[in-house]
Amino acid sequence: MTPAIEIDGLCKSYGPVVAVDDVRLQVAPGEVFGFMGHNGAGKTTTLRVLLGLTAPTRGTARVLGRDVVRETLAVRGVCGYLPADYALPPDMTPRQFLVYVAAMFGVTGAVAAARADALLAEFGLQEAADRKLRGFSTGMTQKVGLAQALINEPRVLLLDEPTAGLDPLGRHELLELLRGLARDRGVTVVFSSHILSDVESLCRRVAVMHHARLIACDEVATLKAAHGVTTMDDLYLALVRREAA
Amino acid sequence: MALASLLWLDVRAGLRERKIWLAVGIYAYTVLALPLLLKKPPAHVTAAMGAFFGEADPFTLFMYVWTDLAMNKVVATLGVVLAAGVVLRERDTEVLPLLAAKPLTMSTYFAVRATSACVVAGLLYMGTQVLATPYFMAWVDGFRAGEFLAAGLLHVWSAMFATALAATLAALVGKRGPGLLLALIVVMTLVGVAFLGFYNPAWRTSMLLMNPFALGVEAVGHLGRIDAGVLLPPMLGLAAITAATIGVGALAVRRMEA
Repeated sequence: MTPAIEIDGLCKSYGPVVAVDDVRLQVAPGEVFGFMGHNGAGKTTTLRVLLGLTAPTRGTARVLGRDVVRETLAVRGVCGYLPADYALPPDMTPRQFLVYVAAMFGVTGAVAAARADALLAEFGLQEAADRKLRGFSTGMTQKVGLAQALINEPRVLLLDEPTAGLDPLGRHELLELLRGLARDRGVTVVFSSHILSDVESLCRRVAVMHHARLIACDEVATLKAAHGVTTMDDLYLALVRREAA
Repeated sequence: MALASLLWLDVRAGLRERKIWLAVGIYAYTVLALPLLLKKPPAHVTAAMGAFFGEADPFTLFMYVWTDLAMNKVVATLGVVLAAGVVLRERDTEVLPLLAAKPLTMSTYFAVRATSACVVAGLLYMGTQVLATPYFMAWVDGFRAGEFLAAGLLHVWSAMFATALAATLAALVGKRGPGLLLALIVVMTLVGVAFLGFYNPAWRTSMLLMNPFALGVEAVGHLGRIDAGVLLPPMLGLAAITAATIGVGALAVRRMEA
């Protein structure tokens, strides 16, 4: 079976700064995969390479068998993406924005309107659907951000720190939704976070990045057993200390 | 088809932006103030107009004032306001990271956004022309609605070119503030000399070749005999130059990272 994501020897440098160094990993279709690491570890750059938003310095990456450099637009067509830092156009309403994003995927007219309506309902945004996005709270913004990532019915969902800034209830709802997407629709979810409990509650397998390098990639239970720890915090610390030694 | 749909949605979004109210205010002020200014123009303006146009009829003088002194300046200013932040503003306000991950190249996205800004500029211009017509019929001596609207059909392309040029210059600079300033200087300079060919007929051909804004005011030089032969060649010229200008901007942003 073709992996949903296949990264081989990926390197990315910005001048003398190495952002990603020789990363190799695979994610299976329908898997919920966690990316852990400190700020600046290389998680965001890796996700951006997968979407062709930045070109790799060396190595290759494929999404559903498509090369992210040579077939960038085809890759983007099957992906949904929520960056860590973003804003929404303040003069649009959620409904208008979702229909606009749908048009960027070539989805127009009644189909786009129906998908927007369904997502607004799914995220509990019906009442705010026709209010301007200017002044939306962090939680509401994140819901609209996630809704736009789903408007094309993606087969791969790349989420960069999606729970950051959300209150506990919002985080719980989001994690439930992601679980449902993978379980019910077979969507592959790649989820980057430094909130380790979120990663543990959602992902069977994780990759840990540290100073641009992949220092571990395996099932959470296997990693915990190998390092003789019971919590994600201890696992992360053990991996980082091993790396430092 | 999908791009046309995206363009239409972008035009509608553009018309909902807050700066549209600024444009509406400027256009409304221009329309309302012009007949009042023409009732009692400053002496130096009267003298200059007499020197340029000799014994021109009131409608010719009105069209000169409307096209050169009013609308040329308005389209230059509003072109910059509407378009000098296209894509750059989305980048600076962090909207671009969401949109850049969609299956469009940055060049295509710029082309859609710049074309949309041009359409918005055109709609505002023609809306003003149409709504102003009955007002001018009541207030301007010898006003000829048909010629006024026909001249507007050509000059609106100046508005769209100004918008495209502002978008592209800002994209070439790559920063919003300096880009906006450069666009304002270049567009204002070109607009400022658009009528030189009228003042000095010996320069007319070279002005038409060097300055696209000179094409946009060609109808004013043919009042009383405006027809398709007068309007179409400069219109097509401006349309082609506008498209080429957007193309240059699209090339400039192709490697921009969100």
